[in-house]
Amino acid sequence: MAIAKAERLMNLALCLMNTRRPLSKKELRDSVEAYREASAAGSEEAFNRMFERDKDDLRELGLVIDVDESSLDGEVGYVARRDRNRLPEIALDAEEAAALSLAARVWQQARLAGAASGALQKLRAAGVPFEAAADREHTALEPRIPAREAAFEPLLLAARDRRPVVFEYRKAGAVRAEQRSVEPWALECWHGHWYVAGWDRDRKDARVFRLSRITGRVRTRSGGFTADVPDHVDVRENVARFAGEGATATARIRLRRGAAFPLRAKALASDPVDADWDELEIPYGYGLGAWLAEFGADVVVLGPDDLRADVVARLRAVAGQDTDQNATQGAQR
Amino acid sequence: MSNAIDQTRRMLSLVTYLRERPGARVGEVARAFGITEQELIGDLNVLPMCGTSFRGGDLLDIDTDGERIWWHNVDDVAQPLRLAADEATALLVAARAVAGLPGLRERDRQALTRAVAKIESSAGESAQGSARVGVTFEAEGHVFADVDRALSERRRLWLRYYSYGRGGMTEREVDPIRMVTEGHTYLEAWCRVSEGRRMFRLDRVADLRVLDAPADPPPLELRDLSEGLVRPAADDPEVVLEVGPGGRWVTEYYAHDEAVELPDGGLRITLRTPDPSGLRRLALRLGRDGRIVAPADLAEQARATAAEALAAYGPDAAEQAPAES
Repeated sequence: MAIAKAERLMNLALCLMNTRRPLSKKELRDSVEAYREASAAGSEEAFNRMFERDKDDLRELGLVIDVDESSLDGEVGYVARRDRNRLPEIALDAEEAAALSLAARVWQQARLAGAASGALQKLRAAGVPFEAAADREHTALEPRIPAREAAFEPLLLAARDRRPVVFEYRKAGAVRAEQRSVEPWALECWHGHWYVAGWDRDRKDARVFRLSRITGRVRTRSGGFTADVPDHVDVRENVARFAGEGATATARIRLRRGAAFPLRAKALASDPVDADWDELEIPYGYGLGAWLAEFGADVVVLGPDDLRADVVARLRAVAGQDTDQNATQGAQR
Repeated sequence: MSNAIDQTRRMLSLVTYLRERPGARVGEVARAFGITEQELIGDLNVLPMCGTSFRGGDLLDIDTDGERIWWHNVDDVAQPLRLAADEATALLVAARAVAGLPGLRERDRQALTRAVAKIESSAGESAQGSARVGVTFEAEGHVFADVDRALSERRRLWLRYYSYGRGGMTEREVDPIRMVTEGHTYLEAWCRVSEGRRMFRLDRVADLRVLDAPADPPPLELRDLSEGLVRPAADDPEVVLEVGPGGRWVTEYYAHDEAVELPDGGLRITLRTPDPSGLRRLALRLGRDGRIVAPADLAEQARATAAEALAAYGPDAAEQAPAES
């Protein structure tokens, strides 16, 4: 029976961590039973591929493996030096440890959930007092960070390793997807949706993409980044502007009393008109027309005129009175 | 594959952990590592096959009687390992996001902020990648503290709540079960009016009071939320929508059974909802970017609502296209 991968990785890690001198590939092959089996059963090539993958996997786990090209006669040697791999002293008290272990549960995405619990396990093994907590009540909340978008993990890795990517992207309202060639800088989760900011190679400009609009696979391109990565990437500001959060103008509406609470909650000013209606001043940004239309007869737009026209056009479309089918597409998120 | 990675990561820490704790109890170790006892036993079956065999067969002599764990040739084979880049990122991004939650108890926030600073300085280079990932939770703090209190004191709540589907306010008493944030913050509670489990979005709570009565929800199993917080039931009525390219976003906001591509770049979306009247609002929002195909009476409701709304804009609006657009 083939030896399980975890056992093989563990053996390789222990060998690399417990040697005082670099070990050659041949020495490692002879030390790790799974490698001996692989070499005996298959080709040297199969062992080589397995060994390279295993080293990469251990590096993913944080192990620093030094490659020494000089010490062994003409052969490359490998070693995970203790001083380079030790966790520096970290003095978390029980309260900090408890807060951290609650926060670490937010990830709903397999890779980051695994990484977060792996980090806690390392801290625990290093003596951080996680057990001693629970002597007081904490905020009764379960925050969750979802990442259901298939593009999330490849983009996370590409941003980490500074690898350019290509993907098919369907812009909001676009009939078909287009290929985009991007150097991904940073990912941001906003309102439960993920966005990536980066350098768009074809447009030669910084762009933000919503992950749910990426269709098909994200493919990594060879080579590195060509554009400078800015020190600070503000994905959030960019996205918020398109979501209408950065409204600079205001609109006046009439609102039926007791209706449309979310709209009322955003009001800058509110005055009663009569027994049934109030007049409100609300922030006017991208997407407001679509939102106001939702409230149907509970809302009447007083101004500005372009917003009033937008809402009327939307209502006419739904009422079946849309005489001009080719009219400009209304603003959509 | 990722299982083997996670298991290796865990076993490396496990070895360091067991070294300090001869005769550690299986249950306690499993709890400390956040795994089941079976998973731990699985690890303990692998560890005796591992060692530094280049030194001549030094395998870890670790065994268990199912209750306690013994390591007979304790050796300094493992030390507390530095955090990997992904590990530091996962921990720091989570901690910063939670610390930024509006309504979080101040003591929790301060503890997290201190922890972040310590991890940052300990992780060194590994921590740098965490600047590449950011998470913002919604600012829905106005009723958060009261819900938090009701949950920890196990008290009943009175809510004046905006019902999205009906478009109006409702008043009800609920027994809180838990509070969950995913994009928005929700209170899951037992609604004493409808006698069912409901999700209440905190930004739709207009008013709330923590009552003296103790919360008394029936014994319920916590739902698995991995497929999303709001899931339709199998017997909820089915609705079919057709949207143009400008209405494709519907699939990102509504749990749906099916979305079939249409030749014009649009989608035919089939979904189920306990409250179809909420979709009348969706139809109004979509405008010419989409319409309800079935059921017919729902489509007619949307049409009638739009016609009624148009009437308020005077005869001009209802009969001819607006002068400007």
